[in-house]
Formats: sequence, structure tokens, C-alpha cells
Amino acid sequence: MMSIKKVTVALFVDRLSNQWVVRDPDGDFWIVPFGESGWDRRRPFELSEISQLESIPRHYIYLLDLPF
Amino acid sequence: MNAEQIRLAEARDGKAAWKKWGPYLSERQWGTVREDYSESGDAWNYFSHDQARSRAYRWGEDGLAGISDDQQTLCFALALWNGKDPILKERLFGLTNSESNHGEDVKEYYFYLDSTPTHSYMKYLYKYPQGAYPYGQLVETSRRRRRDELEYELVDTGVFDANRYFDVFVEYAKASPEDMLIQISIHNRGPEPAELHVLPTLWYRNQWSWQAAADRPALEQFSSSKGYCVVKASDAKLGERYLYCEGEASLLFTENETNTQRIFGVPNRTPYVKDGINNAIVHGREEAVNPARKGTKLAGHYYLTVKAGEQKVIRLRLSDTAPAAAGSAKLKSGLFGADFDDVIEARRKDADEFYNAIIPISLNADQANVMRQALAGMLWSKQFYHYDVDKWLEERGSDPFKTKRKAAPRNDRWHHMYNGDVISMPDKWEYPWYAAWDLAFHVAALTLVDADFGKEQLKLMLRDRYMHPNGQIPAYEWNFGDVNPPVHAWSTIFTYRLEKAQTGEGDREWLKSSFQKLLLNFTWWVNRKDRSDRNVFEGGFLGLDNIGVFDRSAPLPTGGYLEQADGTAWMALFCENMMEIAVELAMTETGYADMATKFVEHFLWIASSMARIGDDTGMWDEEDGFFYDVLRLPDGGAQRLKVRSMVGLLPLCAATVFEGELLVKYPEIRQRLKQFLEVRPELRAAIHDPAKIGLADRRLASILDETKLRRVLARMLDEREFLSSYGIRSLSRYHAEHPYVFKTGGQEFRVSYLPAESDSGMFGGNSNWRGPIWMPVNGLILRALLQYYSYYGNTFTVECPTGSGRQMNLYEVAAEIARRLANIFLRDKDGRRPVYDGMAKFQDDPYWRDYILFHEYFHGDNGAGLGASHQTGWTGMIARSLHLFATVSPEDILAAGKKAYAEKTAKHRHRATRSPSKRAAEKRLER
Repeated sequence: MMSIKKVTVALFVDRLSNQWVVRDPDGDFWIVPFGESGWDRRRPFELSEISQLESIPRHYIYLLDLPF
Repeated sequence: MNAEQIRLAEARDGKAAWKKWGPYLSERQWGTVREDYSESGDAWNYFSHDQARSRAYRWGEDGLAGISDDQQTLCFALALWNGKDPILKERLFGLTNSESNHGEDVKEYYFYLDSTPTHSYMKYLYKYPQGAYPYGQLVETSRRRRRDELEYELVDTGVFDANRYFDVFVEYAKASPEDMLIQISIHNRGPEPAELHVLPTLWYRNQWSWQAAADRPALEQFSSSKGYCVVKASDAKLGERYLYCEGEASLLFTENETNTQRIFGVPNRTPYVKDGINNAIVHGREEAVNPARKGTKLAGHYYLTVKAGEQKVIRLRLSDTAPAAAGSAKLKSGLFGADFDDVIEARRKDADEFYNAIIPISLNADQANVMRQALAGMLWSKQFYHYDVDKWLEERGSDPFKTKRKAAPRNDRWHHMYNGDVISMPDKWEYPWYAAWDLAFHVAALTLVDADFGKEQLKLMLRDRYMHPNGQIPAYEWNFGDVNPPVHAWSTIFTYRLEKAQTGEGDREWLKSSFQKLLLNFTWWVNRKDRSDRNVFEGGFLGLDNIGVFDRSAPLPTGGYLEQADGTAWMALFCENMMEIAVELAMTETGYADMATKFVEHFLWIASSMARIGDDTGMWDEEDGFFYDVLRLPDGGAQRLKVRSMVGLLPLCAATVFEGELLVKYPEIRQRLKQFLEVRPELRAAIHDPAKIGLADRRLASILDETKLRRVLARMLDEREFLSSYGIRSLSRYHAEHPYVFKTGGQEFRVSYLPAESDSGMFGGNSNWRGPIWMPVNGLILRALLQYYSYYGNTFTVECPTGSGRQMNLYEVAAEIARRLANIFLRDKDGRRPVYDGMAKFQDDPYWRDYILFHEYFHGDNGAGLGASHQTGWTGMIARSLHLFATVSPEDILAAGKKAYAEKTAKHRHRATRSPSKRAAEKRLER
């Protein structure tokens, strides 16, 4: 069977903390720093009422060099 | 053949890629649908002009007077800074749809002065104020203005007062397909010396950031020699190129990457981002450019002081020739020596020679200037258009095949679509996206200079990557599924005939493959837009924006639906054009004869339905002698919406003459059609009788019989109704004193004559079909009048203008309308061009008055240019009209019918090509 493409990764910036936030294929949110091995240095991001997540077009994902 | 014709032939035969580099850079990539990743689809506000200097584009690039290769890998354009603006002038500024009182509008003065079809020579003029550009003033004043007020223009701000501006001319000349000479001439028109930073900029379209493991191209300083410096550009696919900058320019490097700090508030991954050069020049932030002198975006920085009235010149060269070879025999006198001037001068002369062979010798200097600038605008309006809809949908989380997905605000039924081609745009600032029916008209003008490009454009829209699998031709990016008038077949057969006359044989393979795809499109129309299966059509707004009583693309406030006079007339014309193509193909391939018969019959079904269906509630109104849309109500009632508009003139355009060659070759078809008409006499009862023989044994397919034709013409040629001093209006002037009013459900809908701008926001509010003159439909009226003329001949005369007592045959009527259309642009007896109306600078100033803008549409009473100011696109049809009436005489048409124009054009072209161009120029000057 032909597999139908792509995981539902999403990219955001948190306007409160000015950081990249990634929602991984499992639906978990992570703060991902820029730079080498950013994903390895990720930290959990807690969604809260004060979070100011702004959706970023998915093509920016490659800037963060994510493993998916 | 002249030099440019040889280049065209070499490009066609694949011997030399003369069209690889051209003006394919857009003038606005921000605010477009393809760059819009917002939830709501608010393209204008999602990616703004303010962001554009800092944010890398996903799908294309923009710039000032720019060029790129045909895949837009490497781009070159101009940036300027007068020392006072808050930002570099890297791209044209304009107001968004919501900022202006009449929708989006570019607020700059720039002119496409010249171009050959291979872009071996191009010239562009940008007028740059010396004072601070009034960004805020334009936005604030425009926002305050009401819809019934004029637009606030840049010249109104006073920034051009005392001529304190620079004329910046940019010329490109190709020494070879890969060696582009660039000459920037800066004139200070003001009374004092003025400073200017000139920044010719080279950059790569960012393709590396958006996909994994993409090759990253590179720009780096290569060397500098006495008199010039060199930048090397390397890309895995495009190869190596070198930008040579004459003189002592300092080179500023950065990356064409988003300044994420400024745009998203998160740190940049590199200190060198898209606005690095802007920040270095305007804010003195030297750390914003890369001291290692490498990157993906580069500008040569020239700082000039230009005295009053003085001119300064900057010269550059973008070439595939490496510096080691540049000094060799290939360039005898060096990069910027006498060779440079010789090449520029030679390409200018080539352009003159080319146009002297195109522009009829009988046109005077002013007419020739208008025609040449119209064609220059058409050629400068080519753009690399890139939009992978499937990828775009995926990137916004709207993959249509996923059950859990965000809805896309538009285009999610067009996921098959991949566009990545050079396409003729309506206007590279206001409409930097293709529009299907516009394109068909563009081709009718472009084929004056480049038949190959015209054919490619028509074919492109029918390719699998464009046309929907269901047969629909994409309308435009705001909604590919919208419905444009079906004029593709008309443009196809027109283009084919011109080439056939020119070369002695038509491109039958192209015609055949186009016909097959057009069949799919025809079937789509029949199956989707004829709700009652009675051969009467809908279609919604059909390109005529606000012409209707209601928004014709939306559910009607009354319920029910519209039977559209324009939709049905367009389909009758579509049938005629398909019939023409099938007849042409049937001359050598029997299989197409049956298709020709099919379209004869289909035409009769549609035409007769239009003329008779509904009897007292049909589209034809016997009392008024005019066609109207018919409103069919849910309770079975019906009424005509009696707005006298272009909608009711379009049935007149569905007229095509046939020479009877099919019937001679296939006597059995003659017999079949005879029987068909005998058993269905009602089909021809209300339309022109197709069996009736006209002049020179011609037949006429026409919705209007002679009686109806005379009645419609009486209105169309009445100066109190449609006939203006500058062409045919889109709405009758009758409605100035007699607005059409329709009341339903407590609401009142009103259509009044509005000769200038729209007074409502319908369809964005930036176009108006309630009075102004539109070139494309005027072009179709001219076509139809010549068809009628070749059938009825000299004995059919009408009063023109109505009530004048002056009788004209239909050739004379067409010529009179064409003359009025041309008068929009030509100087009148007082030396004024109506297109510029009350704009004193454009009328009187020698540095402005002979530069022509080809607007989207024109004031219904005084001919002033309105709407998009650089829509040379379909307004470029004026070049075709000027050419046609200078080329073909009434006698030619009577003798050769619809082939007359193509044949005369070919003869003229052969003769002009053989003659020295000097003779043509001298003759024109004599007049």
C-alpha cells in the first residue's frame, strides 16, 4: 500500500518568550533552540492560558533541522 | 530576417537560449495568495510591504527594473537610497486593498520604454524623488478618502515639485544569451546637486531554506581589477555567473534569509539576513553585512552626487564569462571598453529595426510611439510564476487528503496544480498573477512580436499542471475555481491563422492538441454551467466584476438563478471558435469534419435558445431591442434585469464568418446540415439564418439576425448610451439619469452609470464595469464588426453615431471605434493625452509627457486612465488595433474575408523586413 505522506508537525513562535516551539507528531510541544542539534537540546513547552503561540508556515521547519 | 528575428528563430530551434534571461522578476511578491499562510486568507495583510525587505519569499522574488533567469534562480534588480527615506527603495510601494479608497494601487512612477521579444534590449525608467518618500502620508490620506473621491496619487503629495527627482533609466543589452550588459543612467532633474546611493543587487531566490538537503548557492567576491570588481555566483543547477561592476563600488554581502528577529521575534540563525544591506546603508550598521564577502544576496554600492541637470552612468555586466577569459579576445576592448558601448548601441539599433518591421509605416510618430510602448509593456510584464498548490496546502496544514486538517481559505480543490513558468501577467504590481481570460487577450497583442511565446502561453493553460482534471481552466490565484469567459479558443485560432499566413503553414500539431484540451473545457462548461440543460448559461461574475444588479457569483437575494446573456453569448462564441478550428483541421484530416458538424449544431442550439427561450421572459427584449440577464425565481416566475450593459452587447460579439470550404470538401456534411435545419426550423427562426449566403458565398454564424443587429447597433453607437469619444462604454450612459433599481426583501439594489471608479466594494472595489471603457471587450466588438462586414459588405450601413445622419458601413464603424480607442493615448489637437486627464505634469512636462501608461480601464466620458496603471496586459490590445486598421483595407476584407488581416500582416512583414529600417523611420518622421 502506498503510504500517504507526512507527519503533522507544526511550528510556532511563542511571542511571550520569543522562542521557537514545535509540535511533534505525537502532539507534544517543545521549545527548540536555534543552532546545531537544536532538537537534541529541546525542552518541553507547557501550553498555558498566557502562551502566545503564533503559527509559522511549515516550510520554516527546515531552519530548525528537525529529525522529521 | 533582421537580427532580432534571427534571435527568435534561434530560440525557437533551440540553437541559442535567447529568452533564458528576461524581465521575469515580479514587481510585487508580497501580499500575494501564494505567500499567504494566514488562517483567514488575508493575503494583503499577512505579508506586507513592510515585511518584504526582511522576510524571505517562499515562491518568487520581486524588485525594481529587475531580471532573472527563466527558473528565477538568480535575480538582479536595482535598489536606491536618497539619504532621506527610512528604507532602501528595493521594490515598488503601493497601497493594499484596504488602505486605498479604490482598492490596491501602486504609488510610484515607472515606465516600460522598450523591449525586444528575446529581451536582447530592454529599457525601463523609474522616477525617484529626492525628498523623503511619503509612505505615511499616502496611507493616511488614502484611508480618509471616500469611495466617491479620487485616489490620492504620489504626484499629489508634492514630492515631485520643482522637479526634485532623479530619472533612473535602466537598460539591458545582450552581447550573447549569457552576457547581459546593464547600463544605469541617473539624471538629476532638480535645481540643485543631489546625493544618491545606487545599489545594483544580485541575489538567489531562496530555495535552500524550505527543503531538506537543498544545495545552497553562493555569491562571493572573486577579484577586483583596475576599473572593476567581480562577484562570482555559483549554483549547482544554473552554474557559474559573474557580475562585473565598473568603477569602485564597495560590495555588500548578506543572505536572502528571513530576519526572524524582526518578523517573528526569535533570534536569527545568522547575523546576515535579507535586510542586512538596508540596515548597513540606511542605519550605518556595518555588522549587518558579511565582512567575509560572501552570501546569497549582494549589492554593489555606488555613492553619487549628481549636479542639477547632470547625468551619471553606472555600468555592469552579468555574464557566464570568467574574468580570465573576459580580458581575452572574446572581449576585444575589455569589459567596459568600446565593446560595451558598441553592444548597447547595436542592440538599440536592432530593436529599432525590429519594430520598424512591425509598426506599419502609415502610423505617424505618436501612434508608433504608443504602439511600441504598448508592446514594450507587454514584454516587460512577463514574470516567473511559481506556485505548487499541493505543497502550499501541505505547508499550511491543509492537505486535502487528510481527514484532520485545517480548511484552506482557497484553492484546495486545485491540489493537482504545479505552476513554475514564465507567464504574461496583467500587471506585475497590481495583478502579479495570471488570469486566464486576460492571458488570451495578451496573446492577441504579443503575437505581433513573438508568435512562439503566444502559442506557449495558450498551451500552458491547457497543460495538466494547470487545467483541472475536470476540464476547467484556472481563473486566477485568488480562486482558481472562479469562472472566466471562455475566450481561449478564440485566441487559439487567431494565433494559428497569423502564423499560418506568416510562415506559409500553420502549426497543426499545436492546433490539434489545443483543440483536444479545449474540448474538455467546452464539456466542463456544458456540464457545469447550463443548469436546466436548455443551452442557456450561467457563470457568475464572468470577469465583469460589478456589472450586475447583484454579485452574480453569490447566492441571489431573491433565491433562484440567473440566465446570463453574457455567459450564453460567450458559449456561442466558444462554439464558433471550436467550429473554426475543427474546419481548419478537417481540411486535411477527415476525423475533424464530424467535430465541425457537432459545433455547428451546438452553436444553433445555444444561439436559438438565447434568442427565443422563455418567449416573453427570454433574454432578448423586443421592446428595448437589447439582451438582458434573466432572473429565474424559485416560484417559477422570471424577469429581465433591464440594465443596459456590456452583458447585452456581448451577443453581438458572437459572430463568425465561414468561407464554405468545409461544405465544398465534404458534400455529405452540406446534406446533413441541410436536413438538420429542415427538420428543426425553429432553430433558425429567431437568429441569423446560417443557410443564407452572404458576400463572396460566405456564411455567417450569428445570434443576431439583421434586424436585431441593427437594433443593438443603434444603441451601441448612440453617444447618449454606449459610444464614448474613447470607445464603447461598459454601461449605457442612459443609466446616469435613469438608474436601474431592483427591490427585494426590503433591500434596494441600484445600478447607475459611474464613468470613473466603483462606488462599492464588490469584487474588491478596485475595478468598475458600470461605465468605463475596457479594451478587451472593445477588441471583441471590433472583431465582430469586421466579421459582419465581410458577410454583409458595403451595402449594410448604419448611422454612426446614432442620430448624426452619417451613414457608415461596418468596416467604417469598426475603424471609427478603433480611432476613438487610440485617442485615449494619442496627443489631441492641444497636445494633451486624454489618458492623463488633469495631471499637469504628465501633460506638459517634457520629461513625462511622452511616456505612456496603459491602464486597466478608462473613464467613460473623458478617457482618463483608471484602475491598475500598468495593465499593459489586455490594454496592450491597442497595439493590435493600431496595427490592424493600418494594415488591412475594407477591400482586403471583402476580398479575403477573415484571412485578410493575417495575409496582409504577413505581406507587410516580409516587405518591411527586406526594406532598410532607415526608410521606415524617415517616412514616419516626414509625417
